[in-house]
Amino acid sequence: MTESTPPAVRTEAVWKTFSQEAEEVHAVRDVSLVIAPGEFTALAGPSGSGKTTLLNLMGGLTRSTRGRVLVAGRDLTEMSNRELAQLRLEEIGFVFQAYNLLPVLTAVENAEFPMLLQGVPLEDRRRRVRELFEKTGLTGLEERRPGKLSGGQQQRVAVIRAVASKPAMVLADEPTANLDSSASEALLNVMYDLNQELGVTFVFATHDVRVMERSRRLVRMVDGAIDSDETRR
Amino acid sequence: MQHVGVITLLALRNLRRHLRRTLLTALAMLVGGSLLIFSLSLGDGTHESWIDSGVRMGTGHVTIENPNFQVSRKIEDRLSADTRAAVESALRAPGIAERVTVVSAKMIVRGLASSAAGARPVQVIGVDPLAEVAFSTLDDQVVEGRYLEPDDGLAAYVGVDLVESLDLRVGSRLVLTAQDVNKDIAAQLVRVVGVFRSGVSAIDQSLVHVPRDTAGAWLGSGQDVTNVGMLVAESEEVPRLVSQLRARLAEPIDDGILRVIDWREAMPELNAAVAIDDFGNYLIYGILFVIIGFGIVNTVLMSVLHRHREFGLLQALGLSPRQTGALVLVEGLVLTAVSAVLAIGLGVFITWYFWGDGLDFSSMMSNEMTFSGVVIDPVIIPLFRVARIVQALVFMLLVGGIASIYPAIRAATIDVSESMKFER
Repeated sequence: MTESTPPAVRTEAVWKTFSQEAEEVHAVRDVSLVIAPGEFTALAGPSGSGKTTLLNLMGGLTRSTRGRVLVAGRDLTEMSNRELAQLRLEEIGFVFQAYNLLPVLTAVENAEFPMLLQGVPLEDRRRRVRELFEKTGLTGLEERRPGKLSGGQQQRVAVIRAVASKPAMVLADEPTANLDSSASEALLNVMYDLNQELGVTFVFATHDVRVMERSRRLVRMVDGAIDSDETRR
Repeated sequence: MQHVGVITLLALRNLRRHLRRTLLTALAMLVGGSLLIFSLSLGDGTHESWIDSGVRMGTGHVTIENPNFQVSRKIEDRLSADTRAAVESALRAPGIAERVTVVSAKMIVRGLASSAAGARPVQVIGVDPLAEVAFSTLDDQVVEGRYLEPDDGLAAYVGVDLVESLDLRVGSRLVLTAQDVNKDIAAQLVRVVGVFRSGVSAIDQSLVHVPRDTAGAWLGSGQDVTNVGMLVAESEEVPRLVSQLRARLAEPIDDGILRVIDWREAMPELNAAVAIDDFGNYLIYGILFVIIGFGIVNTVLMSVLHRHREFGLLQALGLSPRQTGALVLVEGLVLTAVSAVLAIGLGVFITWYFWGDGLDFSSMMSNEMTFSGVVIDPVIIPLFRVARIVQALVFMLLVGGIASIYPAIRAATIDVSESMKFER
């Protein structure tokens, strides 16, 4: 990372507090984290450890109670809902655990949806998406609706959608949780290869050991705070 | 707004996705909308029939008279022969002549009709028999004898109730007494040539038609008249004709010699009846469409609640909250617009079907029904008006739009992170 290139995401003493039956629950406590462009990072921890909330904070899907979140150098805490939507469109790709695709669109339409919103011309959209379909072994399934795809195929389409528009980073929340081991492995390979070949930054919230093993940086969370931050070779 | 194309595409696909739900809602709109079109046409047809009956019995769609005549009803508040000539000249002007279908100049006075059996207060109208045949429907309502003819001199056409109360028959002599132009009481002997039954008791008791020349000679008014009445093809043309005539006759109007009034001013009771009936109809349409509106709210809201996660996903992918709301609004509007267009087609077809012979309600009316001097025709012919189609279309779109607002707000204000939570 050079001085002129801002981190893909930076959190500065971020807190997220929910009110629950007159009690305050701190889902994320004082988390400061810097993720550089091109990283393949996993946020791990048991259920309720705050990894999904931290991922949502990084993606501007929820607002911090205290502290700052910066994506590609832009401060999310200062932004309106409309600006956050624009930032998500330009800088962030999402892969969720399930129901990732819009049921009324075909696989190829789903994959190119962010580019459609960005106004990328049809030919460019189709070229980029077809390349990624080929790379991920989905060729021939372009015109299928999500209901006609397996869980693994749907997740791969979601990954293509997340990376095709060339965002600053992809946030993936338990992307393998609903997949069997071979589909999980295949999906991880796809994401790993895209990270290696295209330099796309991936941040996962996961408790899947396979994801943790493949990640080059593992941030463990306990009770909303960072417990350990380990970089592997 | 950005992404209009994407939002429209998603809206259309979403409507197709739940086809049965979409079709059921569209069907409710279709039935409601076509009923609205047909009811509006029927209502307009009814009102046109009332207005036609009223103006033919009265002084026309538009009448020109002395400014004081409506209140005084006195012979001194009449239009001179010169003024009448100026009015008739204005009626021949281009733009006016094409609009006016019939003109009838009348001398209307209050007086007394007497026979050997007694006397009754009456309204005597001096008419040009030929013009009046085209203007009024009274000649069709003859029950004995005939209507006035151009060669008639001392002839009278009277109502059945007057005939009964004065013990008259066709050929009987009758003395009419009224104030003449010199404010003297003048009497005129006439002979009954025909008897009519209008169905309106007040008219059958008190109306007497005599030839205008006879009235002029009797009252000393010559070619003067109290009113120049005219009919148009459809009452909607009245405002335009009135303004044209007011422009043409600006000078005598400014001098206080005459005024141009429409049937609404001349017959305020009829105007009120039409307005009240319209209000009642609009109230029913309103209630009908509130019910349909709730149906649309239900359909669109259910669709929003079922697609909570989908809206979260759309916002995560870059659609703003406002654009997410717009998607729901477009779905509601597209559904309404398509239903409205089909409803208009069906409504126009039903209107067209009944246009020829009309709807006969005579089985529901035991006797002739009347109000304010208007005989209600039991056969109603729907009246098709383009303006009503536009009104109905706007109304339906408004209902659809308003009904979609709450679901749209729900979609726009979802908590994205909550909606994307996966229940483990």
